Amino acid sequence: MPAEPVTGGYPFSAVVGAGAAKSAIRCALVNPAIKAVLIRGGGGTGKSTIARAIAGVSSRRIVNCPPGVTEEQLFGGIDIEKALRDGRAEASEGLLERCGGGVMVIDDANLMDPATLASVFDCVATGEARIERGAVSARIPCDFLLVATVRPGEPDLSPHMLDRFDLCAYMEEPGEGERKEALRRGRDFSADPKGFAERHGREEAEEAALIERASRILPAATISDGLASIISELCQRTGAAGCRGDLAMARCSMALAALSGRDEVTKRDVEEAAALCLAHRRGDAPPPPPPDRGGGDGGEEDDDGPPPSGGDEPGESGREPSGEEADRPPPPEGEALPDIEEIMFEIGRQFRVIDYIGAAGERARRTKARKGRRAMAESADGTGRRAGHRIPAGRARDVAFDATIIAAAPHQRDRDRGGLAVKIEEGDLREKIRERRCGCTILFLVDASGSLGARRRMAAVKGAVHSMLRDSYVRRDRVGLMAFRRDSAELVLPPTRSVEYGLRKLEELPTGGRTPLGAALEKAHGYMSSNPGRRQGERLFIVLVTDGRANAPLAEGADATEEARVIAEGLASRGIGWIVVDAGLSYPHFPDAEILAERLRASYFRLEDLDADGLADNVRMVLGA
Amino acid sequence: MKKALLLNIADPGIGGVLIKGEKGTAKSTAVRSLAQILPPRTVVEGCPFRCGFGGEGGYCPYCMEKIAEGRALSPASSPMRVVELPLSATEDRVAGTLDLERVLKTGEKRFEPGVLAQANGNLLYVDEVNLLDDHLVDLLLDSAAMGVNYVEREGVSFSHPARFVLVGTMNPEEGDLRPQLLDRFGLSVDVAGDLDPKKRAEVVRRRLAFDADPAGYMESCAEETGRIRDSVSRARGLLPRVEAGEDLIDAVVSVTSRFGVDGHRADITLMRAARANAALDGRSRVEKGDVRSTAELVLSHRMKRRPFDKPGLDGAELEKCLQSL
Repeated sequence: MPAEPVTGGYPFSAVVGAGAAKSAIRCALVNPAIKAVLIRGGGGTGKSTIARAIAGVSSRRIVNCPPGVTEEQLFGGIDIEKALRDGRAEASEGLLERCGGGVMVIDDANLMDPATLASVFDCVATGEARIERGAVSARIPCDFLLVATVRPGEPDLSPHMLDRFDLCAYMEEPGEGERKEALRRGRDFSADPKGFAERHGREEAEEAALIERASRILPAATISDGLASIISELCQRTGAAGCRGDLAMARCSMALAALSGRDEVTKRDVEEAAALCLAHRRGDAPPPPPPDRGGGDGGEEDDDGPPPSGGDEPGESGREPSGEEADRPPPPEGEALPDIEEIMFEIGRQFRVIDYIGAAGERARRTKARKGRRAMAESADGTGRRAGHRIPAGRARDVAFDATIIAAAPHQRDRDRGGLAVKIEEGDLREKIRERRCGCTILFLVDASGSLGARRRMAAVKGAVHSMLRDSYVRRDRVGLMAFRRDSAELVLPPTRSVEYGLRKLEELPTGGRTPLGAALEKAHGYMSSNPGRRQGERLFIVLVTDGRANAPLAEGADATEEARVIAEGLASRGIGWIVVDAGLSYPHFPDAEILAERLRASYFRLEDLDADGLADNVRMVLGA
Repeated sequence: MKKALLLNIADPGIGGVLIKGEKGTAKSTAVRSLAQILPPRTVVEGCPFRCGFGGEGGYCPYCMEKIAEGRALSPASSPMRVVELPLSATEDRVAGTLDLERVLKTGEKRFEPGVLAQANGNLLYVDEVNLLDDHLVDLLLDSAAMGVNYVEREGVSFSHPARFVLVGTMNPEEGDLRPQLLDRFGLSVDVAGDLDPKKRAEVVRRRLAFDADPAGYMESCAEETGRIRDSVSRARGLLPRVEAGEDLIDAVVSVTSRFGVDGHRADITLMRAARANAALDGRSRVEKGDVRSTAELVLSHRMKRRPFDKPGLDGAELEKCLQSL
């Protein structure tokens, strides 16, 4: 089969800015022990461009891995041609093998199936791909550099996955001058890619030579015991669990030293390495808010910075942080051990810059909220991503031909093929398993009656619905709102993924009147069960915000609260998940909402304990469970 | 909306257009009618992917093979088309897959092109793009970004050029687009139904005339259609000669930074749009006015907005920014 088409790439040396990303890539090219680099940055900041530009400064081949890749394609499956012609089962070349010694680029790695990404990392760590599939069992050496890009705003990689990247570079916010230069170069490149590449040929060759020279120095590079123990302490202080961070820092600082033509690691190398190795490993805590916002979350994260030192460092007079990064004077060499506090301080400053970059324009999201994986559901209507194949239960409808042929291949010699190239029998048939991401539909059922401390409560509830709406378009969830007051429940917002539309409805929500809890429960359940526009595999949730007390019964003269409880019992466990948020006062506290939650077999939260975002997060956790 | 579409035809590098509007605002009609004015392209004869003759945008593996064997590629003219991507499409139909018949008959693996292959060099139209399944969106993103469709599935490993003008329409009430996909659209337009009764009546009149006698109606518009077609082809020819000097770069960057838009993609798109606008106008010099009249198309979907902010661009702000140069 023909290979990939040639596309003229943008030269590495012509990428404007992106110092950290360039530096990370250089290190990885110099030190083969650095095997995975992550590049983070907003859309259109040149992440992919720089990853692909590696081709210009290294002889290693670049293989693109789409986020929707199947495991079979990564690891190779059975060679179909051989199976058909010779009836032999042999492993075919997978992406990983093809990548041998090269660079694998994964764009938007966060969109990749986590299990697949994990197995890629397995190969990175062991240096070989193990294939155990049907008749094939093979071990294939695969040594490659993984370069992945991720943009903020989408669900992030899990901390565990992040930790497996040796280095992580953030794309800086370009200044106006840089933007202009980038624009100029982009114009020249698209007008004449070849000529542009030629004009940058010398710089490109210098860059390649720099890396080449550093690779030769690297084997001789050493790191003093003092700096090595400083590295370990830094890792500990920044809350980087495990020793991957330590190793990465040591390797990275050695590569940095080699790139500067030295064989001895200095303090500056360690500082620079820290920004690349530790920023994505810091604890489990959420990133602190951008400096201009006085948010309350992430308070404990401030420990990352240095303790406000009283200036008692010996011999440090002119090292006050001047706010902006000016060119720092080269540190005096050959001194006694560098002071760890000072390095800590330097790193803290770099982290603040990084956090600012990371958070600029994106809302800070809590790690907790990401815990729930997006649910996948098997899809039976022939759409969705193929997730594998199986022997069909009855008549095969969505036939997986490749798997079918593979199943039939070993028998071909013994079968009477009647002139056909392949004889396929009933038992060979395999069908595709398809799955698709499915969201949830979440209906907020909100007590809008006068009995709830009205406005203040409503503000919290609105805040929560608001924050879930904002989330919903990323997560493929639909969020709706039903409010009950006076005599009935009213569907204020049919389940939607539209943020603006939803918010508009939310603003107009009227409150006041009596509390028809029982009627509301029935109506909400009825609506969700017959939910229009429901997609296959979608999960349904109702988030009930109430104090659990009612005063408008369905039946004339009945005890409304008791009636609601009976209704609740009848509705529990009927295909819909319930979450009760107790909006009652904390003092005096009545257990009505708790009782109701129990009857509904619902998860139970107190509004008191949650701010708006917190409520959304907790609902998320229940959904994810 | 018309302008956004024409700009993209004049310079396919702009990166497509997203058309947002409520139902019945002629979104689809406008896109489908483009077929009338699309200019022809020069492609490699017999190439299933209609690779551009002259290697623009890269060759597919088949053409590469021919070149490697020393065979000459011959040019052919192929009309640019509107290729539709139905929402219900399956992944293998979009990306392409194994040619099963061939495998069964000859035991040889061969790639069967999908919608993305058809779309190469053409317009790819996705109606209700916000309702497109995630995995298809991922596929589109990948191809749109790289201009290459990499297929790694079902025992097939293949890649071919897939450069297309992505045109999506959506009704915002049905839900928003993922930010990733949103950013990939070069331009965006909000279309609203016309409130002026006179204009509405005109729309109805025209439609009735069309229904009564489609051929005759087309005939009556032929002159106008022809004029647009000519101006688009002229613009395409002129485009490489349109200068993009320092003034333009200053204007572009000052506008994008004034409106707080990050990333180089916005800068590059605005520059391209301004150039295409000049070319459509028959000028080989870009003026401030070109930036002014394309800024909203480029920036409105890239600006950070809080809920309840009005969509669109503050015209006065833009004017101030351009005046200050």
